[in-house]
Amino acid sequence: MNNWNYEPAADLDQPTVERLRRFPREPDMFVYGLRSAVALVLRNWLKFYHRLEILGREHLPKQESFIMAANHASHLDTLCLLAALPLRKLHRAFPAAAQDYFFVSVPRLALAAIVVNALPFARRKDIRHSLQLCAQLLANPGNILILFPEGTRSTTGQIGEFKPGIGLLLAGTNLPVVPCHLRGAFEAWPKDKLWPRPRRLRLQIGAPRTYASLPPGKDSSEQIGRDLRRAVCDLARSI
Amino acid sequence: MSPQAALQSEIFRAYVWIMAGVLALAGVVLAALRWGFKRNVQSVWATYRSWLVMAPLVLGSVFAGRVPVILFFCVLAALGFKEFARATGLYRDWWMTGVVYLGIAAVGVTSLMRQPQGQEPGDGWYGLFIVLPVYAVALIFLIPIARNAVAGQLQRVSLAIVGFVYMGWMFGHLAFLANATNAYGFLLYILFATEINDVAAFTFGKLFGKHPLRGNISPKKTWEGAIGALAVSMALPWALRFSFPQFGITQLILAGAIVGVGGQLGDLSISVIKRDIGIKDMGTGIPGHGGVLDRIDSLIYVAPLFFHMAGYFYGLR
Repeated sequence: MNNWNYEPAADLDQPTVERLRRFPREPDMFVYGLRSAVALVLRNWLKFYHRLEILGREHLPKQESFIMAANHASHLDTLCLLAALPLRKLHRAFPAAAQDYFFVSVPRLALAAIVVNALPFARRKDIRHSLQLCAQLLANPGNILILFPEGTRSTTGQIGEFKPGIGLLLAGTNLPVVPCHLRGAFEAWPKDKLWPRPRRLRLQIGAPRTYASLPPGKDSSEQIGRDLRRAVCDLARSI
Repeated sequence: MSPQAALQSEIFRAYVWIMAGVLALAGVVLAALRWGFKRNVQSVWATYRSWLVMAPLVLGSVFAGRVPVILFFCVLAALGFKEFARATGLYRDWWMTGVVYLGIAAVGVTSLMRQPQGQEPGDGWYGLFIVLPVYAVALIFLIPIARNAVAGQLQRVSLAIVGFVYMGWMFGHLAFLANATNAYGFLLYILFATEINDVAAFTFGKLFGKHPLRGNISPKKTWEGAIGALAVSMALPWALRFSFPQFGITQLILAGAIVGVGGQLGDLSISVIKRDIGIKDMGTGIPGHGGVLDRIDSLIYVAPLFFHMAGYFYGLR
């Protein structure tokens, strides 16, 4: 008789806080359940308090992995983009979140890891490692990466320059990226306010695009950043 | 059981003093070793500090009454199973783990319910509680059938059954014991004596340990530790005789033997699981102890044995 093969959780010997910090995570059904329950509450909050309107859901790819790239003005952005996805995709969606902001203090860590399912993204050093993590994630079909290519929340409400990192993931691949524009988030919850105000939100999802013809490299990455920014700005104007 | 009853119960009050005294004494001994004899007690210190949290937690839930104590043991069983599921990889199978959690909830519900008509009246539905494993096994086998799957299903089914029967139901006997007429005496004796047995095994092993008890399973456990712990556990029921005034000599000997032998078998059983999987601790929940399962492992054997011994001679309710 052959012995059984066990497959223990990879983070078995880690304390709870470390477990939340590491990525990829090994959640059990309680975490999934909690995340789904909180998502339901948040979706209703966005719908009734912020009157969130989502346009262009049909552009979201059904089976394959893809990136959602959006403008970034407030913490509501991530929640709105997650709300645009069907609930069963919730646990396959990974918003890239600043490691230096979300993965330090325990309350924020718990929010990022359990509620949002965030991917820790190093903004200053180790960017290459973070991008590698993103690429691994996207290599699995059905995963969704949520990125804010501006790299931080806008302090003016204007859409800032897009960083070229997203281009490194996209150039020369068939990976679709969906440009999204969220309007009203800056007015609802600017960076210096503690609590969101009841302002209308409107999320416009654009058609997916790919950059298979561009050779991977610095130039094409910057070009992709510019092109995506234009796409997001076009969505902003289209309303 | 209720807060008022706990305050009036001489047994409960006595255990509060005993536990406080033992913890204070242990603290003094550790402090003397640390500062008086300059020994390195770092690891034991962490273990001790966790006791300072766990002892009031256990006493607090026993104090709070029958419903809280039943819930407390069910939560412990669920946490223990959660660790088992994460260690074996079963936790990736939501249906299997879900059914086991349902079973643990059933342990709680049958302990909380009143006996239905036609049987000996009292708190807790004894008949259903005792046959819960039958229904659990049946329910667990329904999962591969519903899935129409075979590959690797027997392993999952088996792990789920062990998870429920061992961590859920056997440990769950403590929850049902909350319905006993002498709940304070039985519960507090089991909890206190089993943990003392663990500490005695550790201490005797540390002081005199030479011959490994079961070298492949748990290299640190020794015959000297086991025999020392058994001796302490055999003596303890006489010292704690006030916990069960109705017990005669036979019952006192049995109560000691159940804790002395059962406690160590429970410890070794979890070690078998850990060794086979190839991990050191079941979790990291309790600093200095490992996981919840590393702490409650000895109780898993002791609880049902004591339960039926006491039930055989006197009836529980």
